[in-house]
Amino acid sequence: MVLDVVEAILGFPPVWQVLVVGFGFSLLVSVVAVWFERKTAARVQRRLGPYWASPRLGGLLHLVADMLRYAFQQVIIPRGVDMTPFLVAPIVGMVISILPVAVVPFTSNPQYWPLPPGAMEYSLLIALAITTLPPIFIVAAGWASNNKFAVIGGLREAFIITAYELIAILGFLAVAAAVGSFNLAVIAEAQNPVKWFMLLNPLAFLAVIIAVAMSTSAFPFEIPESESEVVAGPFTEYSGLLYALNMGGAYMRRFIYGILIALTFMGGWAPYNPGEGIFAGYIVPSLIVTVKALIIVLAISFLRAVYGRYRLDQALDIAWRLTLPLALLGLALGIIQAFIGLA
Amino acid sequence: MAPKPAVKTLPRRGSLIDGVKGNLQALIVGLKYFLDPKRFTLVYPKEYSKLPKGYRGFIILNKQKCISCAACARICPSAAMKMIRIPVKDPKTGKTRMKQYPVINYQRCIFCGYCVDVCPTEALYHVPYHDVVYENLSEMFWDLETFQKEPEYKTAKEGSPVKFLIHEEYGLIKVPAEEGG
Repeated sequence: MVLDVVEAILGFPPVWQVLVVGFGFSLLVSVVAVWFERKTAARVQRRLGPYWASPRLGGLLHLVADMLRYAFQQVIIPRGVDMTPFLVAPIVGMVISILPVAVVPFTSNPQYWPLPPGAMEYSLLIALAITTLPPIFIVAAGWASNNKFAVIGGLREAFIITAYELIAILGFLAVAAAVGSFNLAVIAEAQNPVKWFMLLNPLAFLAVIIAVAMSTSAFPFEIPESESEVVAGPFTEYSGLLYALNMGGAYMRRFIYGILIALTFMGGWAPYNPGEGIFAGYIVPSLIVTVKALIIVLAISFLRAVYGRYRLDQALDIAWRLTLPLALLGLALGIIQAFIGLA
Repeated sequence: MAPKPAVKTLPRRGSLIDGVKGNLQALIVGLKYFLDPKRFTLVYPKEYSKLPKGYRGFIILNKQKCISCAACARICPSAAMKMIRIPVKDPKTGKTRMKQYPVINYQRCIFCGYCVDVCPTEALYHVPYHDVVYENLSEMFWDLETFQKEPEYKTAKEGSPVKFLIHEEYGLIKVPAEEGG
């Protein structure tokens, strides 16, 4: 009886998709992305980076050691904080940041879609709606910390949210307009094999990449957590596992956005046609999508080695004056493509 | 007199094309360094930098040549070298008399080599290495006996020697070196 209920819960596709792809993969990807970021920055600056923990793996185990340290570090909770939001915000923020995976199809085979085909019609909209939620918890964490650095960091995050959300959504909707469907599976199938929207609509792609970099504090826009100005931004008062949740949450969000970009702009499982059965129908295409998402994450990580940090006003200037018109142009291009039937 | 009102001017914004060009150039430079970094970190136990001839390493005294002029102690800019008086038996007359010899404090020495340069009889000389391990600070006061012995060379001899050269484009680069010579 109990086992049946557990089996029914775990066998429900959105649940295991969130647990395996969402949590497991994004944890792995965030470790690899942090390692790649440090290693790339070191390489471009002609240093060595993490090395001695495991010379053959290029220091990859260094990050595992870092994670273990965070896991066993003492969690210090200051006396002045607002206890409930202080504890709840990082946990809920991280959980919500991986929730969009619950509605994302990893294959064109309807048998393995997480939602019934009727509900899949709105999967892009649902996923985009969920991706806009986690920053609220970052602001809440900063506000609950009762610390001036945390409040300033949360305020900067709030400015950044208002700037990037519209751009990201308009950029993704350009593709939906071109295809004429909000169904992520239909969008990905429409690009098969090489009609990728990355090539057809580079304006929207660029706008979305910039918006993702802003939303996840990637380097030119690493404004809420800039160490040299506000100690760790909204996460100043956090320590131990809660800090790891906060910092890992940004990389997980980047990975989830990477999955959405892989599906909408890079053709999803594009060179491959999903077949029947669990292996050919689900595992291979989901791995292809994950690898494409990983490429997006690593490309954004590479920017750390090249760019300095923008000021808040420069970032908002870029968002409102350059990237928003870029996203609108991308949307117009998508509508034109739908009109002439290119996509 | 009232202060002049200052007009705040903002730097003129460049054109969009300049901005795009600058960003692309930065990314291309980053990619170039990413693909061919020419790292110059000295991976110490696996590599050690080969020291050139005439390297100003530890300073050793040849007691037979010393004429007790104290020029080394006087020129020492960090007051690391001091003269001590010890009794010496004169071989001709057989009488015992006091003679001055230098001793050195390697806590203070800056390895400038002035003492070696100023020594009129070349009683002081450099050994061409620098990596010597001490377990406590008092070992770095050398008495007259220690000052005449060359210290044990404790660098990473199991690694490979490298040397640093000036490169036109990259600045400093690291190249493998031949040991010896």
